[in-house]
Amino acid sequence: MTLTVTRSDAPSGRDPVDRAVDLVHSLHARPERRVNASLIGLIPFLVFIALFLGVPVFGIVLSAFRVADVNDPGNYVPSLANFVASFRGASWDAMQNSLQISVIAALTGGIIGLALAQAILTTRSTKLTAVVTVLTSVLANSGGVPLAFSFIAAVGNAGIMTGLLSLTDLGFTLYSSGGLILMYQYFLIPTMVMVVLPTLAGLRVEWKEAAASVGATSWHFWKKVGLPIATPAILGGFVLLFGASFATHASAAALIGGGGVPLITLRIDSGLAGGNLAGQENVAMALGVNMIIVALLVLLVYMPLQKRSLKWFK
Amino acid sequence: MVQMRQSTSAARGIRVVTPGLSWALIILVALYIAVPMICALAFSIYVPTTGFTFEPYLESVRDPGFFGALSLTLLITVLTVVGLLAIMVPTMVYLHLKAPRWRPVMEIVCTIPLVVPSIALAAGLVTVLRSMASFGRGSVPAQISQLLQNPDLPIVLVGSYIVLTLPFVFRSLDAGLRTIDLRTLVESAHSLGASGATVLRRVILPNIKGPVIFCTFFCIALCLGEFTMAVTLGYRTLPVWLTQIAGSNFRASISMSLLINALTWALLIAMTVLAGRAAPARALALKGHES
Repeated sequence: MTLTVTRSDAPSGRDPVDRAVDLVHSLHARPERRVNASLIGLIPFLVFIALFLGVPVFGIVLSAFRVADVNDPGNYVPSLANFVASFRGASWDAMQNSLQISVIAALTGGIIGLALAQAILTTRSTKLTAVVTVLTSVLANSGGVPLAFSFIAAVGNAGIMTGLLSLTDLGFTLYSSGGLILMYQYFLIPTMVMVVLPTLAGLRVEWKEAAASVGATSWHFWKKVGLPIATPAILGGFVLLFGASFATHASAAALIGGGGVPLITLRIDSGLAGGNLAGQENVAMALGVNMIIVALLVLLVYMPLQKRSLKWFK
Repeated sequence: MVQMRQSTSAARGIRVVTPGLSWALIILVALYIAVPMICALAFSIYVPTTGFTFEPYLESVRDPGFFGALSLTLLITVLTVVGLLAIMVPTMVYLHLKAPRWRPVMEIVCTIPLVVPSIALAAGLVTVLRSMASFGRGSVPAQISQLLQNPDLPIVLVGSYIVLTLPFVFRSLDAGLRTIDLRTLVESAHSLGASGATVLRRVILPNIKGPVIFCTFFCIALCLGEFTMAVTLGYRTLPVWLTQIAGSNFRASISMSLLINALTWALLIAMTVLAGRAAPARALALKGHES
C-alpha cells in the first residue's frame, strides 16, 4: 500500500513509460480507503491483544524504567537503576547461572537429540519414525509440575533410582544446576529431534549414491552436501533449546522452589513476592525485560535458520 | 505428499553408524524417558509399609482443596477454549476474506507471545494490577483490577491463556483456511441466502474442523498444566494445588499429577495425530510455554 503511494507521488521528469506505470499504479491504489475500512473486523482482536498482551508488556517496561522518588516514596521517577541492579549481586548471579545452565543443557540436549535423530533414521524403520514423530511433539510440549514430580520420584532425595543406584554416594543431587540440566533434557532432546529429524530424513540416499558415483567418500559427502544442508536446522535447534531452557519456570519452581539454585525466573518470583520493599519489584521487572530481550534474540536467530532449512524441501 | 516422501526416505535413511549402535542409543533415551514415569507410577501405587494400594489416589481426591482446584481449572479451561475460538475463528476468517493485506502484521502480533516468557507476562500483569489497585478502594481502576482478578472467575488468567496459545492457533487456523476456497464458499452460501453467522457455523466451521480441534486440544492441554501464570497471579488451579500439598503428602500429589499428565499427553497425542493427517506439523515446530 505504501509502495503505491510513493510511486504515484514520485517526482515527474522521469521516463514517460515510468510515469504511465505510476499512473496505472495510482489508479489501482484507489481501494485504499477500503483497506483502512477492512481493519474494522479486526478491532475486537486488536482490543483483546492490547489488553492482555500490550498492557502487561507496557507495564513491565514502564515499571522497569522507574524507581520510587527518594524524597517522595509515593512518587516514581524515570531511572535506569533497576537495570543497573539487575546486573549486580544476586540478580546478576541468577542471570549468569541461568545462562550457564541453558548453554550446557542446550549443548547436551542438542548433541543427544541430533545423534538420536540420526540413529532413528539409521534403523530405517518407518514405524519407529512415525511413533517418534508423535512422541517428540508431545514430550517437547510437556513439562511443568508433573515433570518435576516424576524426577523427584525417580532421582530425588527419596527417589527410587536414587536408592537403587545409591546416587547420593556418588555426589548426585537433583536439587542443583546439574539436576536441572538432567531434568530439562526431558523436553530438550525431543525438541531437538522434532527440529532436525525432517531435515536429516530429507537427505536422500540418492544424493549420497550420486556423490559416491563420482568418487566422493562418505566424509566428502557429509562435508560438501550433508552438513551444509543440515546446518541451519541443527543450529536453529541449538538456539531453540537454549531459549526453552532459559525461559523455563514451572518445572524449576516445582523442583527448587525459593532457594538452592539461583535462576532468573525464580529471581523474578521472589522479587514479586517481596512487594515493593527496597524496590525489588521494579528490579524484577528489569529482569523480565532482560528475559524478553534474550527471547527476542533467540527468535530472531531461529526464524531465518528455520526458513533456510525449509528451503531445500519445498 | 510431504509425509509420504519423508517416510519413504526415512525407510532408507543414510547410515552413519551401524544399526546396532543406533538401537543402543534409542534404548538409552527411551529408558531416560520411561524411568521417571515408571518411578512416579510406582510411588503412587506402592507404599513400602502397606504394599500395593490406590490409597494415594483416594487421598488426593479427599484433600479439602481438591474440588476447588478442579472446578477452578475446569472453569478456566472451558472459558479459555470458548473465548479463544470466539475471538480467533471469526478474526482469522475475516482476515483471509476481507483483509489479507494485514496477514503479515497479524502473524507478527500472534508470534509476540513466544518472545514474552510466561513469567515476564505474569510479572507485567502483576505490576499493572497492583498499580491499578493502588488508586484506592472504590476508584474505577481499582474496581477494574478487582473485576479482572475475581477469585471465582479469573478473567485475567483466561485472557492470558488465550494469549499464550496464539502462536500455535494462528499458524494452525491460517494453514487450515489457506487450503479451502473460502471466498467461493462464502459467496455461494450468501447467494443462497445464508446470513453471516450461518455461513460461519454451517459452511466455514465444518471445513476447518481439523485445525479447530487441534486448537481446542492444545488449549485444553495448556490450561490443565499451566503453573507459572496461575501461581504468580495467586490462583489455586490444579498444578498450583499439587505443589501446595506435595510437602505434606507427596504420594497423593504425585498420583494426581500422573493423572493430569496422562490426560495432557492423550490430548497432545490426539492433536498431533490429527494434525499429521491434515497437514505436516512442521510449521508448528515451535516450543510452547509449558516447561
